[in-house]
Amino acid sequence: MRRYILFRLLQFIPLLLGMTFVSFIIIQMAPGDYFTQMQMNPDVSPQTIENMRRTFGLDRPVVIQYFFWLKNIFRFDLGVSFSYHIPVSFLIKQKLKNTLALSLFSIFLTWLIAIPLGIFAAIKQGRWHEKILSFLAYIGISLPAFLIAMLMVFFAARTAILPVGGTTSVFYIGATGWEKFLDYLGHLLLPGLALTFAGIGGLYRLMKNNFLEVLGAPYIITARAKGLSPVKVYFKHTLRNAINPMITIFGYTLSSVLSGAALVEIITNWPGMGRLMLDAVLSQDLYLVMASLLIGGVLLIVGNLIADVLIAFVDPRVRLR
Amino acid sequence: MEKVLDVRELKVALRRDVHRSETEILKGVEFSIGKKESLALVGESGSGKTLTAMTVMGLLPENMSVKKGEVLLCGRDILKMSQQELRDVRGVKAGMIFQEPSSYLNPVFTAGNQIFEAIKDTSLSVKEKKKRCIDVLKDVGFTEDIYYRYPHQLSGGQQQRVMIAIALVNNPSLLIADEPTTALDVTTAAGIIELLKILMERYGLSLLFITHDISLVSNFVDKIAVMYAGRIVEITDAKMTMDMPLHPYTEKLIACLPERYNSGEKIKTIEGSVPDFHNLPSGCPFHPRCPYVMEICRKSEPPVVKKYGILVRCFKYGMSMET
Amino acid sequence: MRVFIRRLKDKNRLSFVSLWILVFLYCLALLADFIVPYPYDLQHREYALCPPVLPHIFHNGRISRPFVYGIEIVNPAFKEYRQDTGKIYPLKFFVKGSERKILGIIKTDRYLFGTGNGKVFLFGTDNHGRDVFSRVLYGARISLSIGVIGVAISFILGLFIGGISGYFGGKVDAFLMRLVEIIMMFPFFYLMLALRAIFPANLSSVQVYLLIVVILSLIGWASLARIIRGMVLSIKEEEYVMAARALGLSSFRIITRHILPNTFSYTITALTLSIPDYILGESALSLLGLGIQEPYPSWGNMLSVAVGNLRVLTGAPWMLIPGFFIFLTVITFNFLGDGLRDVMDPKNW
Repeated sequence: MRRYILFRLLQFIPLLLGMTFVSFIIIQMAPGDYFTQMQMNPDVSPQTIENMRRTFGLDRPVVIQYFFWLKNIFRFDLGVSFSYHIPVSFLIKQKLKNTLALSLFSIFLTWLIAIPLGIFAAIKQGRWHEKILSFLAYIGISLPAFLIAMLMVFFAARTAILPVGGTTSVFYIGATGWEKFLDYLGHLLLPGLALTFAGIGGLYRLMKNNFLEVLGAPYIITARAKGLSPVKVYFKHTLRNAINPMITIFGYTLSSVLSGAALVEIITNWPGMGRLMLDAVLSQDLYLVMASLLIGGVLLIVGNLIADVLIAFVDPRVRLR
Repeated sequence: MEKVLDVRELKVALRRDVHRSETEILKGVEFSIGKKESLALVGESGSGKTLTAMTVMGLLPENMSVKKGEVLLCGRDILKMSQQELRDVRGVKAGMIFQEPSSYLNPVFTAGNQIFEAIKDTSLSVKEKKKRCIDVLKDVGFTEDIYYRYPHQLSGGQQQRVMIAIALVNNPSLLIADEPTTALDVTTAAGIIELLKILMERYGLSLLFITHDISLVSNFVDKIAVMYAGRIVEITDAKMTMDMPLHPYTEKLIACLPERYNSGEKIKTIEGSVPDFHNLPSGCPFHPRCPYVMEICRKSEPPVVKKYGILVRCFKYGMSMET
Repeated sequence: MRVFIRRLKDKNRLSFVSLWILVFLYCLALLADFIVPYPYDLQHREYALCPPVLPHIFHNGRISRPFVYGIEIVNPAFKEYRQDTGKIYPLKFFVKGSERKILGIIKTDRYLFGTGNGKVFLFGTDNHGRDVFSRVLYGARISLSIGVIGVAISFILGLFIGGISGYFGGKVDAFLMRLVEIIMMFPFFYLMLALRAIFPANLSSVQVYLLIVVILSLIGWASLARIIRGMVLSIKEEEYVMAARALGLSSFRIITRHILPNTFSYTITALTLSIPDYILGESALSLLGLGIQEPYPSWGNMLSVAVGNLRVLTGAPWMLIPGFFIFLTVITFNFLGDGLRDVMDPKNW
């Protein structure tokens, strides 16, 4: 088992290198660099800009730059942001915390709702319960997250039920720890629910289809022929097998956390990685972009590893290979 | 003689959603099995053998429904039972084993777990239940360690024996075996048949054995029922069938057996193919493939007649019951 | 084709209805020049953020021919309008106006409807006083075409690369599949942004349009190629491909004539279901101001007015109407795709 995980980890390293290299090339393909815009500024002398380029290493060939960056990564040095003039790691830390809080909240809620509904619908396949749920799922799948976010902002602003934008209220200073937490949660609710609603439909459908497929498996006939109760047939024999593919999905979900939440963050004004990344890409803030992509890649690996371990845990065919 | 299973005039239909029509798949199946008696249901695939077995277990797929008939299992009609009553009967009165043990065992639970959960006697303690599991595992020729094995760690023959253990753990009166040896290689299959013989004796079982291979069962079961297109066309004493098949279809089935050939002889087949249920031929469904076809065969369906004590559906043997 | 549509109607009523909704939407987009009452960039300065002005058929309790009331601004600071029931402008069909060209080809000086001196804003106006209805119809051209063209490019790329990868296997396969994995490893949204950033921000509408199509296709082919590779791998072992190889046909011919056609029924379904991704990709880019540029409308950039501007969003909810059209298009494509799957699957015949 341990060897298997190590093997999987090793498999990911070339991919991660490939991905960071490709992103490096893409960003450098853009005309000019961060300092090009600075040249427009008459207060900054061309000499200063030249010096700054040299300090950041931008005067060297792309491949050399990439290897310098890579070398620094192994020393846990993500570089310095051009626009903020502070270490990227420092800049990302706070934003990443907010993004992770948002994503984990919505993932948790999505799974909590979609999985039971999927199972319920599979059991009621063809009946009106399932038809209504599946129709709603269609609507959910077809409503993009950004639109849901906009609709929610609209209703929140109209009704003033939920706070819109930011992570804290004005009375935040002086609040106790518990109040601070509730306040944070309150602000998290709007983007969190928007992401949740956008995710439920797809996950529901996956779960329903998996469950239906397993229900058609021969060993379910065996279970019925034994005279087991529906509870045992569904929740012991079917669920244990239907959950396997969902674990793989879970791994992927974890990896798409950054990307999936970005647009919703921008629309609901949640101070996460989304806005930071948008600005970084547009201003060619090289090391900031690279760090974000690296985090995305690492999350993918972590997600996949968690999925691998969980699958080995629930499936003896993988565990006892 | 006391009957363990008595199927009377069983008709089962398939609903087709597209055309909102029904097609009859079983067209009045009748047979019975006495205590400690064994009967083989023989026929080509698609003749309705497995469907008959599933009806006996009360496990019809949702798009199938019973139109008529009675299925008396130990004297009670299972077609009139509620879902709860059915569950109480399954496993206790009748156990079932299937064609491909590898896909009929749940891959994520140990063999022991799957036998254990099948025990219906709620008066037993966990310890007693486990002892019962190990006893039945020993009965099918295993040692205790198989209890902790997962299906993928077992061979095909071992998996089928675990299936048998599951089916027998409640001491049922009837065992239904749906082509239990088809997916296994010849030597393993022979082992399973031997085991079934021994277990029938030890457990006092009645057996409903489903197969397409008439030679496999001819010297192993008591009676053979040959099925064609949703009907039983001939029920005979197994020993007689091979030497004196009455129905032309039975005759053909036996003629096709490989061991009946001398070397160099051409392999025989039954011309034509199993008719499509949605599009059955008129009259006797076998008439397009029958060498003895008569004018009447095309027009009407043959009734059951008794010839030399054998029940057969063919105009060759007259129109009505001989007395 | 007719058999096909009938089967769709029998199998899946919802997808059949969706097909017709899509046909209708495409017609609206194609005939936008004829249908819209105002050009997309015409600014009615005095009527900014005006709520929808809809035709009435009852006046003083009596039925009359369709007409609109006049509108007047009550509070210019807060953009409050009210209908002046004293002024009545009949709604005229096939009205004459300045000459336009339908799709730049057919000249016409008559439009579907208009009101003469009154204003008819079916979906209200935006912050520049432009008619949202007219802009939605012009914007439809972007969203409805970008999905189809983007999918077509991805399809060709994916089919080609997946076909090669699956057929030749070995090192070619290993290399191409690593490439696919790298692309799929990127967070989709960031990759889209990064690719967009390669190009200057101030491009013409046509250039941006093409750029978006290319970017989305460059991201989209990867998953398709992987699926097709898998299918090719399994089909490759089928007997008729063996037979073709035994006959000495060239690899290219075997791939194009014998293998790829067999993946069509699956790929067509997959393509239909992936069209929404392209539509949403364009919307997202335009929403952030990186896509189609003003004054040309796209559903995405029309929504961008309401992003981060609570006053517009709460005061003028009709600015979300383009969002409804995005939703309608996406859901109809989803229904259609599922319907196609039912129809294409031989098991369901």
